[in-house]
Amino acid sequence: MLVLIALHFVVALSAPFAARAFGRRVLLLGAAVSGVTFAWLLLRTGDVLNGEVLSEQLVWVGDIGLKLSVRLDGFGLMMALLVSGIGVLVFLYATAYMPREKNGRFCGYLIAFAGSMLGLVLSNNLLGLFVFWELTTITSYLLIGWEDTLESARSAAWRALIVTGAGGLAMLAGFILIGQAAGTYELSAITEAPPGGVAVAVGVGLVLLGAFTKSAQFPFQGWLPDAMAAPTPVSAYLHSATMVKAGIVLLARFAAPFSDLDFWQPVVIGIGLTTMLIGGVRALQQTDLKRLLAFGTVSQLGFMTTLFGVGTSEAIAAGVAVIFAHSLFKAGLFMVAGAVDHEAGTRDLRELTGLRHRMPVTFWVATICAASMAAIPPLLGFLSKELAYDELLHSGDWGIVALAGIIAGSAITLAYSVRFVWGAFWDKTPSGAPSAARVPEPTAAHEPGLGLLGPPALLAALSLLFGLWPEPAAALTGAAAEALDQVAEVHLTLWNGLTLPLVLSLVTIALGVGLIALARTSILGGREFEPRFAPDAGYRVFVDGLGVSARYVSAAVQNGSLPVYLGVILVTAVALPSAALLSTDGLGIDTSRAGSGIQIAVCALVIVAALGTTLARRRFVAVMLLGAVGYGIGTLFIIQGGPDLALTQFVVETVGVIGFMLVLRHLPQEFVRRRHRPTKVLRAAVAIIVGVFVTLFALVAFTARGAVPISDYFIENAESLGGGKNIVNVIVVDFRGLDTLGEISVVTVAVLGIVSLVFAVRRGRGGDPDAPVTELARDDVAEPAPSEAP
Amino acid sequence: MILVLALTIGALFSLGTYLVLQRNLTRVIIGLALLTHGANLLLLGVGGKAGEPPVSGIDPSTMSDPLPQAMVLTAIVISFSVTMFLLALAYRSWTLNRSDEVEDDVEDRRIAREPVRDAEDRL
Amino acid sequence: MRPARSVILEQGLRATFHTILLFSVWLFFAGHNAPGGGFPAGLVAGSAFVLRYVTFGTDGLPRLAPELLCGFGLVLAAGTGFGSWFLGGQFLESDVIEIHLPVIGEAHMSTVAFFDAGVFFIVVGIVVGILRYLGSEPDSSEAETSP
Repeated sequence: MLVLIALHFVVALSAPFAARAFGRRVLLLGAAVSGVTFAWLLLRTGDVLNGEVLSEQLVWVGDIGLKLSVRLDGFGLMMALLVSGIGVLVFLYATAYMPREKNGRFCGYLIAFAGSMLGLVLSNNLLGLFVFWELTTITSYLLIGWEDTLESARSAAWRALIVTGAGGLAMLAGFILIGQAAGTYELSAITEAPPGGVAVAVGVGLVLLGAFTKSAQFPFQGWLPDAMAAPTPVSAYLHSATMVKAGIVLLARFAAPFSDLDFWQPVVIGIGLTTMLIGGVRALQQTDLKRLLAFGTVSQLGFMTTLFGVGTSEAIAAGVAVIFAHSLFKAGLFMVAGAVDHEAGTRDLRELTGLRHRMPVTFWVATICAASMAAIPPLLGFLSKELAYDELLHSGDWGIVALAGIIAGSAITLAYSVRFVWGAFWDKTPSGAPSAARVPEPTAAHEPGLGLLGPPALLAALSLLFGLWPEPAAALTGAAAEALDQVAEVHLTLWNGLTLPLVLSLVTIALGVGLIALARTSILGGREFEPRFAPDAGYRVFVDGLGVSARYVSAAVQNGSLPVYLGVILVTAVALPSAALLSTDGLGIDTSRAGSGIQIAVCALVIVAALGTTLARRRFVAVMLLGAVGYGIGTLFIIQGGPDLALTQFVVETVGVIGFMLVLRHLPQEFVRRRHRPTKVLRAAVAIIVGVFVTLFALVAFTARGAVPISDYFIENAESLGGGKNIVNVIVVDFRGLDTLGEISVVTVAVLGIVSLVFAVRRGRGGDPDAPVTELARDDVAEPAPSEAP
Repeated sequence: MILVLALTIGALFSLGTYLVLQRNLTRVIIGLALLTHGANLLLLGVGGKAGEPPVSGIDPSTMSDPLPQAMVLTAIVISFSVTMFLLALAYRSWTLNRSDEVEDDVEDRRIAREPVRDAEDRL
Repeated sequence: MRPARSVILEQGLRATFHTILLFSVWLFFAGHNAPGGGFPAGLVAGSAFVLRYVTFGTDGLPRLAPELLCGFGLVLAAGTGFGSWFLGGQFLESDVIEIHLPVIGEAHMSTVAFFDAGVFFIVVGIVVGILRYLGSEPDSSEAETSP
């Protein structure tokens, strides 16, 4: 399994190169990868349906439980089959749909997305799951923003990234809370023995937040319809079986172990039902076929969320069946919408008319898929919805609440399903009202080719097939439900006899028909509806506010003055430790350590020279006095017992002064004088504060040696381990050799910096640009970076 | 002695700070050098009493602590190379602009002064 | 740019240059058991070149690019670390090699001497680098642009 996931990413990386050779057919490569995955999964299906569980793992950071572990249980199998199976169809569809140019990158993104999604549904480690989750966020960002010349696509991609990315962060925090409480990050172990406590409850809440953003639940639903800016194959993939199902997958995995938390049922059911109703109503108001489907997806996701919100074994079983049915019909519907768009040049239902005559096969494919969505027998959608009704009747009080909401939502679903088929294919007068009297000229279009029609037709056929012959679907979804909850069973049957669920199904259909009859001009009409309260307002306010506040903060904090920055850093560096210094009592300052007269004399010399260098007006004087300070320090080193240091210090000081001289001879002799008294006073004040603090700190630190110093170890072992008697040298080159290695690297970098700075000057002033060494200064010159060929 | 050493360190830090807060790059470099001297002395002083050079074979109780010395040794060379790098920077600034003053970052000042633009423009 | 010639300096240098280099080599090897080591030795060797630069100008500097000297030193030092790693020890782990020399007799040296040599070359590199890039280069480029 890990190999299959890795294969996706390898192929994704190579796709842009393959595109040069294959052109648009590179997308078939994606179909091949998904196909291999699908075939591999099919070979394992028998074992998994018999209850076997395949797992693999790759330990990454074992200490914190960071493993890449994948597990193929029933639910994982079903989701992976959907991801790879619909993946194959989407890639085939895209081969016919996408324009001929720049398919390499597109193909790469789409394969990477498929790989991330596969990893997400198979992942058994919460941290690994999070990584794949974020990968789907990033790859979907790239896919949604594919038409990067369109402002709408860019902002839609941003929005998806911000909303789902923020949710992902909340989810990571939730995962960590849960994982720490459980002592493991393995999903299977957590679901077997769910941890409890307040922290876990908070963690589950955060995970729910992540799932809601990803699956476009209220109030985060806005990004999903916007994401319709993506090319249709992407929409068909992201919004049927994959991206938006990620949140549902998580809900499904968490429903069995955590649905007995107090807040689970009211919160998840409440949000699910709200989303279902809002999505349905908004779908009825759309004139763009893809947006209509997008809001329909929001509504259906609300439906699934509600089922997992109820959280009983029965509801979970129904939820799994609905996931399966939805993936089939929604992918088909998006593909049909894309085919209509591709052939007719528009997907505005006010402009489309009479296409059922021009595209009869497409029309029937769309009708079957839409009927499955509307839960019309004998299609798979009907079976799954009836199962949901049946199971909710046995799921306690919350089940009944959910049932009532779902019946209402399903009636709306029926209405917008009709609106979709009517809008895309029916005869209309341009004003929008259906007219029997005058059949207008149908929109110019003809039946799409096999590439655009084959995949949705296959999906429609499957919806029909599994409706009439539900055993395979029942076996698969049954195994999936059992993996989530051991006692869950799926009974998918077309005819159960005259039962209450059947009556409810009929009631739903009747309600839907009644709704259409009541609001005929709205539902079967092209009036565009502008919501009075824009649901996007929250997002807009948030993003704008972020921009404005970032401006104020950076204007205040980053004012561009180096002295101000340094001053703030220094004052902070002094203030924090001195607060600690003052708050501890009993600082024993031992002033008894005697010093020789020569030490005191050298110290005095150092202070005087330092004062001189600070006040000097001429550069050379300042540097000479700085040298004097250095020699003084070197003398102090000798007195302290460090001959190596003293030697180094003396030579460094000498070479350093020469280096100063070499540079300063180019500069004017005197410093520019500044006569701005307030800043001078402020500087002096900061300087004095720092000086006083450091003096106190030194006094305390000198006598604060409490623990046994590690030097004793060095002293004892220098000769035996390091092979040398000079302990300082042994420490430098052996005991702390790694430090020294880092240090000499810094020195080397400094030399390279000097080289490039000096040559940059040469070049900037028109020196010989072809001089061989100027390579080093290349980055310093404003040259356009060589753009990478796509 | 301990008092004298502490005062010396304090003075070096104080004067170094004063110089670092100026706009003249040469003075900033000199200030950094003073700060380095102060830090090195501090490290050495924290190491304890002065003593014999740390070479194996002599009585450890009369020996000065070798670890701070090793640290200071590397610190001296690092600060030396960084100082030289800064000097190259000052040289470059002088040859290009005829000035070794550190001016305010133009871009930062512009952002701070400019009126708030519509955040959507930035997306 | 070549400074005005000074016979005294030139003759003095002739006597001292190699002596200083020799002294730095001695410091390097002494550093194991007595004060010295790669850092001071490198600086002392570098100061020998300072004297040459003061006397002969750019001509006194080694032709080898200083950054190459640094790179060589870094490779040597890091190579010592990786060497012990590949030979089964830990990164930068040291060992003492016993050498049987026919005349002098037993000698032993630690593998860290190679590491220390790396330090030595880097320090020489930065000193020569300062002389060349802050000293000679600006001179020659000024000579080019302002004839």
